[in-house]
Amino acid sequence: MEGGKMIEARRISKFFSIVNKDGIAEGLTACMSVTLSIEKGKIITLLGPSGCGKSTFLEILAGLQAPTEGEVYIDGVRVLEPLPSTRAEMETYRKKYRFLSPLANDLFRDRPKHDIAMIFQDYAVFPWMTVLQNVTFTLKLRGLPRSEREKQALFYLNKVGLGASVNKYPSQLSGGMRQRLAFARALSVEPKAILMDEPFAAVDVLTREHLQDDLLKLWESSGITIVMVTHDVAEATYLSDEIIIFSPSPGTIRNRFKIDVPRPRRRDDPDLADIEVRISKLLKYDVDNECEYSI
Amino acid sequence: MQVEQQYGSKGLGLLTRESGLFLKNSFGSLFSREFIKVLIPLLVLWEVIPRFDILPRTLAPTLSDVALAFWDMVVNKGLFLHILYSLAKFLAGLLIAVLTAIPIGIFMGWNLSIRKHALPLFQMLAPIPPPAWVPLTIIIFGIGLPMQIFLIFLGAFYPILFNTYQAIKDTDPRYLSSARVFGASELTLICNIYFWNALGAIIMSVKTGVAIALVMLVIAEMYGGRSGIGYLLVEAKDFFQIPAMVVCMLVLGIIGWFSIELLKFAELKLALWKVGR
Repeated sequence: MEGGKMIEARRISKFFSIVNKDGIAEGLTACMSVTLSIEKGKIITLLGPSGCGKSTFLEILAGLQAPTEGEVYIDGVRVLEPLPSTRAEMETYRKKYRFLSPLANDLFRDRPKHDIAMIFQDYAVFPWMTVLQNVTFTLKLRGLPRSEREKQALFYLNKVGLGASVNKYPSQLSGGMRQRLAFARALSVEPKAILMDEPFAAVDVLTREHLQDDLLKLWESSGITIVMVTHDVAEATYLSDEIIIFSPSPGTIRNRFKIDVPRPRRRDDPDLADIEVRISKLLKYDVDNECEYSI
Repeated sequence: MQVEQQYGSKGLGLLTRESGLFLKNSFGSLFSREFIKVLIPLLVLWEVIPRFDILPRTLAPTLSDVALAFWDMVVNKGLFLHILYSLAKFLAGLLIAVLTAIPIGIFMGWNLSIRKHALPLFQMLAPIPPPAWVPLTIIIFGIGLPMQIFLIFLGAFYPILFNTYQAIKDTDPRYLSSARVFGASELTLICNIYFWNALGAIIMSVKTGVAIALVMLVIAEMYGGRSGIGYLLVEAKDFFQIPAMVVCMLVLGIIGWFSIELLKFAELKLALWKVGR
């Protein structure tokens, strides 16, 4: 598992054009020349204040948004085809994607582009499917034969502790259980990497710590790569091998902290607390400066 | 778990229980203890006011007049057959509207290119009030079944189309993203994500469509029919049979209520996942 690059982002930039309240078009830089490579089997956390482009960056990694510049490789395979740079390329690009955007999947064939899974902040489990159907649906998308789907789904649901409520609908579950379902769904396809967008932001503190420990257990047993976006500093230091700190406007990598505290870690480990204080100071500095700029 | 227990028994028993439940849930309100206190005085007033000439009896028929007229129409004019004709036309028009409007709406909501090609056309045609189509329709289709069904279709088509399109377009992008990352094809997205997410809004839009289609049913039958409730209504007008007119109006009201309740029931059965919410 160790060694080798799982995810590689080269000079990713993302610009938006927005219309401000005076009706004037403005440019907005979400990411500016972000280069990042993530080794196999690590937990990496992207940390930063809200609106610094880390979620956008994660979606670019997943291929849900196209970067304005730069390229992403997952396990050596390019995520999206390069954008046109010459006029002639532009013409063919336009013709090719007139009907479907480059972000869309195949029309009729279920086929994952990359062997990754993604977990969203408010779970994004499908409320019209039962717990079991949620998991078997994703397994169906991965082309697993019908007979094996249910077996594998039940295995992973039991693993996250949802074995007793497989026939319930997500609306009948608590927030923490819904997040577990999202974990089970992501793990069941046995991906090489999981991208998480603030996975614990919507659950209460006790559940959050419990889920974090569960996540670590699952990670240790499977050895997948995890990329997580968060703005909880304690969470980041407790979980990750490396913390990438984003600074806002434009979103760039400001600092990188390697955390060499051996696992299993304790939440009250003084080394972790030390790192946490340093990161908090750094972030506070960023936020203060941001305020000055915006005034 | 409860749901499974409900579906435990099979066949006729299930059917009777389900339809009994449906009737109770839909029309039970008519016979609730509260509403009976309103209903009975109303009926009594209806009977009494024309009888004591507070309103002229020729213009305002009493309850008993209407009941007699109803019986007369059932025996001599085949009222139930006419109701059946009307229902058949209504369902045909509505079905065509549902089968065309929902797919078009889904495709327009799903794909930007399709939307840009198709939407302005519908936006241009939709504001034309459906009754304004009557003269042209009569010239093209003549007076008969096709013209009536077309008018009913027209009444239901646009509300269903626009609401479906809007609901599909507003699908939560997180659902789409998470399915996309797992590799869902666009067809799978439409069948498993877009449609189910928009189902509530689609059924809602069919309800709106039903209301307008009912209006168009009456208009179509009044203008060019030899059968149906609208035809009976016009006939009653020609012979100045006010009780018969009231009967027709009440029947139309009941048809409307019944179809709306039927859709509510369908919504309840299809959107089981919302029950626990």
